[in-house]
Formats: sequence, C-alpha cells, structure tokens
Amino acid sequence: MKALALFALVFGAAIAQVTVAPLFPVGGAVPELVLLSLCLVAAFSGPVPVMVLTPLAALMHGMLADRDAGLLLLAYLPVLKLGAALEDGPLPLGHAARTYLMAAGAGMLARTVLAIGAMLGGAPALFGALAAEVLLPGLLLDIVVLTLCYVPLRLAGLTGSGFRLQRGRYFAHL
Amino acid sequence: MLILNRYSWWLGAMVGLAILLGIAGQVGVLSPVQGAFLRVTAPFEAVLGGIFRPVAGLLSSAGEVDDLRAENARLRVENEGLRNELAQRQQDAQRIKELEAALGLAQGDTSQSRLAANVVHRDSSPFTDVITIDRGSNDGIVKGMVVTSTQGSLMGTVTRVTPTRSFVRLITDTRSNVRAAVLGGEGADGILRGNPGRTLTLDMAQGDIKVGDTIVTAGLGGAFPYGIPIGTVTSVEGTTQDLFPKVRVEPLTRLGTATTVLVLMSFVPERLDLEAGP
Repeated sequence: MKALALFALVFGAAIAQVTVAPLFPVGGAVPELVLLSLCLVAAFSGPVPVMVLTPLAALMHGMLADRDAGLLLLAYLPVLKLGAALEDGPLPLGHAARTYLMAAGAGMLARTVLAIGAMLGGAPALFGALAAEVLLPGLLLDIVVLTLCYVPLRLAGLTGSGFRLQRGRYFAHL
Repeated sequence: MLILNRYSWWLGAMVGLAILLGIAGQVGVLSPVQGAFLRVTAPFEAVLGGIFRPVAGLLSSAGEVDDLRAENARLRVENEGLRNELAQRQQDAQRIKELEAALGLAQGDTSQSRLAANVVHRDSSPFTDVITIDRGSNDGIVKGMVVTSTQGSLMGTVTRVTPTRSFVRLITDTRSNVRAAVLGGEGADGILRGNPGRTLTLDMAQGDIKVGDTIVTAGLGGAFPYGIPIGTVTSVEGTTQDLFPKVRVEPLTRLGTATTVLVLMSFVPERLDLEAGP
C-alpha cells in the first residue's frame, strides 16, 4: 500500500510537471515537481524507494514531455548522494534543513545537467542565461513548492527518515 | 580489492540504464509504450488542467479590472488577425509585382486545409518549449507538419507522433531553426532561432531590417511553406561594420498561453536542407 502511494506521488508529479508547472513560471524557470517528489520520498521514506522510483520518474517524465529519459535520469541521480552527504557532513543539520539543502542542490544540479544536455543538442551555450533565467528562479520555485508540501506533511505527523543506506555492503574484485 | 557500497552499485546501474534509455529514445523503441502511456495519462491531465488553468489565469490577472482584461484579450486577437491580414496583402502585392505566381502556387498557399487541435500539456523550460496536442497519426498528422495559431501565425512543427497525440516543438525552443525573411525586405532573410527565456533572434540576417518589420517564413529548405507570419522586429543592434546585426523578434502569437492550434494538413514538408527546420 505504501509502495503504491509513493508511486502515485511520483506519477502525479510527472503529470503535474507538464500540466501544472508551466502555468506558474518565474522568469524562464518552472518548478521541478518530479525531482521534488523524489526528495519528499527520500525525506519521509528513506533511500530505497527513491532508488526504485528514480528511473520510473525519469521514464514517465520523458514519455510525457517527449524528452530524453536517459538525460532526465542522469539529472535526478544526485538526490540520494546529496542527502547522504548532508547527513554525514560536519554540520549538525536538522531533518528540515537537510531536506531543503538536498532539494536545492539537487534542483541546481538537475537544471545544470538538462541545460548542458540542451546545449550539446544544439542550444546556444549561454551560461549567463543559465544562472539568471534557470538556476536562481528555479531555486526559488523549488523552495516554495517544497515548503507547501513539507510543512503540512510534518504537521500531519509524518516523521523524517534518514538518507543513508543502512544495510550491507557489496564487494567487487577488480 | 575495491569496496563498493550499494549506492555505488545502484549509481553505476542507473548510468548504464540512462545510456540505454537514451539509445532507445533515439531508435524509437519506446514509441509504442509512449503512445499507450499517453492514453493512460490523458484523463489525469484533463483533470489537473481543468483545476489549475483557471487558478493560473486568476493569478496572472490579479489586480486587473475584468473588463480591461477581456478587452485586452479581444484586441490582442484582433491585432494579430489584422497584422496577419496586412502581411497577407503585402505578400500578394509583392508576388504580383515580382511575377512569382508559379512559386506561390507551388509553395505559398497558406490557405490550406487545417486541423484544429487542443493543447493538452506543455514541457516548458528555458531551453525547451514543446507542447502536446490531442491529435495524432489517427487524424493524419505526420512528423514535420507545420503548426500555427488560430490566427495563422507560426507556432512550430510536429516532432513526434503517437496514434492519439503529437509533440510540437515551438519556435521559441532553443533547438528550433526556421528559415525566415523580412516581408518586403528585398531579399533580407536569415535563420530564426529560439533562445533561453523563450525569445527569438533572426541570425545571419543581411539587408535593410527595421524595427516593426514583419518576419515570415522564407519557404527555403522545404520545412515550411512561404509566407507564414512569425513575428515583428523589436530591435536591431549593431553597427554598419557588423556583418550581421543582432535582430530580436517578438512572436505575433502568445505561445505560452495557446490552448488551441491549427495543423497545416495539406503541406507536406520536404527535407531539402537538413539544417533547416526545428
């Protein structure tokens, strides 16, 4: 049941990304709802569901928007690593601070990856425009949307989850 | 011995999967799945669009008096229609004057059969600008067909078709290239490109170009018929020493808020020049 709910969240986010997000642009940016849904799953359900849902999210968003699902998958990959790095980092951050920083960092990285992908695909290489029209407005939008979701969920009693994988290690001989 | 934790294994697998997905997308293996997925998501899109479009409209018009907004919308449509009508008349006069009737019959007939379609969703970022319409190969749409606004201004071309949906790359997408010309500009033409932030520039444009000039499709390259109105020149920057001035163009139609578009059904695109077309 929980797995179904998490899938529904990401599925809904992918549809909202192409139907709702374009209606509320700031500058040239729109909120990355799919990425934020993965951040919320990581924040409240831990890393394992994110590992499963990340490729599905990229595939769904890619098919809905006719975008390269592979590039979207690469753009969404840093979510977990950022979360774990913040948890292991030297700063004693609370769960909310870690979630916000993870979402902000993952959003910046994802937009940068997508912009570089677009530039490699023939778009003009305008890095000034990338910062002014993509990264900063996108960061603002992501923080607003995350607040609209995170705060009510915490107030509703959901407890935060860790971002680290707790069990086991695998070994490879190279 | 290299110790890899589960995250590293997962990361490696995902990078491999990303490469596979990229290849599958290029080859078109995912197209049947995509068509089925779009059919499944259609009702959800309709519900979300029905809820949030009015909210977005309300927010965008906050602080405005209702009748002013209505009048503005009406005048905008009327203005676009008049501009297009003027452009059409100038075209006709120019064609007669230059005795290009034969070429006009072959390429320039913009009063072709058109298919109306609704915009169901939009993938909008500073570097991409793609809309999805609720018509597909079942309705006769093929890749490369030209899409205009309801008033006849160029919006983009169809880049992918599923049985029930089509993806349209708008002219403001950064991957879009349209061979365009200045109406009545005595040979002034160039390549219209989309830029981040959904602006348009006319690159490699030579000749006498002034603010207020109307830009139309040049009909070169086979991707577009001649003479579809695109936009008006808003600024021309550069000195007489510059080989190419920097020409900014504002689209005639509001690409971001279009809910209905027209697909030119009887124009068959030809890929005469692979670098032309979005």
